[in-house]
Amino acid sequence: MAGNIKRLIDTIVTQRAHGDKILEGTVKIKLILKGIDPKNYTAQSDDDPVVMGKLQEMINEYKLNTE
Amino acid sequence: MNIKTAFSVESDIREAVADIRQQLGGFEAKMLVFFASSIFDPERAARLMGNAFPDAVTFGCSTAGEIVSGRMLNHSVVVMAFSRDSLNGVKVEVLENITTGNPVDKAFDAFEQHFQTPPAAMDRKKYLGILLIDGLSGAEERVIDRIGDLTNINFVGGSAGDDLKFSATHVYANGKSYTNAAVLAVLEPAGPFSFIKTQSFSPLPQKLLVTKVNEAKREILEFNHKPAAIAYAEAVGTSVADAPNRFMSNPVGLVFEGDPYVLSPQRIMGDSMHFCCGVKEGMELNLLESTDIIADTKKALEAARSELAGISGIITFNCILRTMELEQKGQSDKYGELFAGIPTIGFSTYGEQFIGHLNQTAVMIAFH
Repeated sequence: MAGNIKRLIDTIVTQRAHGDKILEGTVKIKLILKGIDPKNYTAQSDDDPVVMGKLQEMINEYKLNTE
Repeated sequence: MNIKTAFSVESDIREAVADIRQQLGGFEAKMLVFFASSIFDPERAARLMGNAFPDAVTFGCSTAGEIVSGRMLNHSVVVMAFSRDSLNGVKVEVLENITTGNPVDKAFDAFEQHFQTPPAAMDRKKYLGILLIDGLSGAEERVIDRIGDLTNINFVGGSAGDDLKFSATHVYANGKSYTNAAVLAVLEPAGPFSFIKTQSFSPLPQKLLVTKVNEAKREILEFNHKPAAIAYAEAVGTSVADAPNRFMSNPVGLVFEGDPYVLSPQRIMGDSMHFCCGVKEGMELNLLESTDIIADTKKALEAARSELAGISGIITFNCILRTMELEQKGQSDKYGELFAGIPTIGFSTYGEQFIGHLNQTAVMIAFH
């Protein structure tokens, strides 16, 4: 499988920033500081289970919707 | 916004507080932020400031040098007082035992109760946060990371200093002094505000990918799958032995949309490198080269002044490494003068907080 990391990153950025462009940048920097750089992941990126686990944990913590 | 500053260079803290009280006259402060040199006994400094302004929320920390409108100081106390009508609300919480515990969530419960708004829903244009933290705790990354998980409002601040003694640093709140602790303040200013992050570095093309790290020790073992010290020295174009001489002018940084978040090397131990802030495996860093602190800061202040259509007050958190560079270059007075005419207080920090924990950066809150 591929592309799920980008999908999870997009979920976090979109739902935490609520369309606020400055917040989008802030959320991305927070992810980079957690060791996950959004620019490194595309729709073709392999689904690394370790990275996906970290992102899923954040999604649960932030109570975001993945539907 | 009705903001007033004061400072004292009296060597006795009792006299310094009396001096400040006299300068502030009958100003009715709702909140008072102060930064005090580590020459002052921390317990007395906190208690006397709290006693002198019993109707105000008081908080602050120890420093490695102070800044006040137009001047860089040493061995002083600097104060910024906010009038009752300048703040719609303020709530201060102390986080204790930050090296082992996770007290951030409890503080945010208190913020939610006080402001009657869940922290995750707080509007970043309405609220701001200040973080003052024990500068020798090594806990900054964990605290700011957790804050970032809980809210979208900006928390900025600095790591308390102790005039380069590296013995003990203190944070102060409502008449008490704390170590192994942090002070969090959430403010709801009555007027607009903005943030300044300025660092005098530009990214170089040399990339250093963090491939092996000891996060707990802020130690990078490998860059680009090579021993970190060797890879850094190669990137800079010098020997490992000479590499520490380049740390000040060639730190590394996370570069996001052209803007560097500076991470400063501290020392080389064997083949590995210790940093002044935490680094994660997988981070892609750029080598940075220094630019002109005076020109860059001036430009940043002008941009903020233009954005806010005037500034009535600045709180600045200025890295001790910047202060040392300014001293070495004989530019301290010139730097202080950049803030002339603007009510300003600040201090030389052991690290700056802006989204993450940074180095060699000046972070500021500018109030309209």
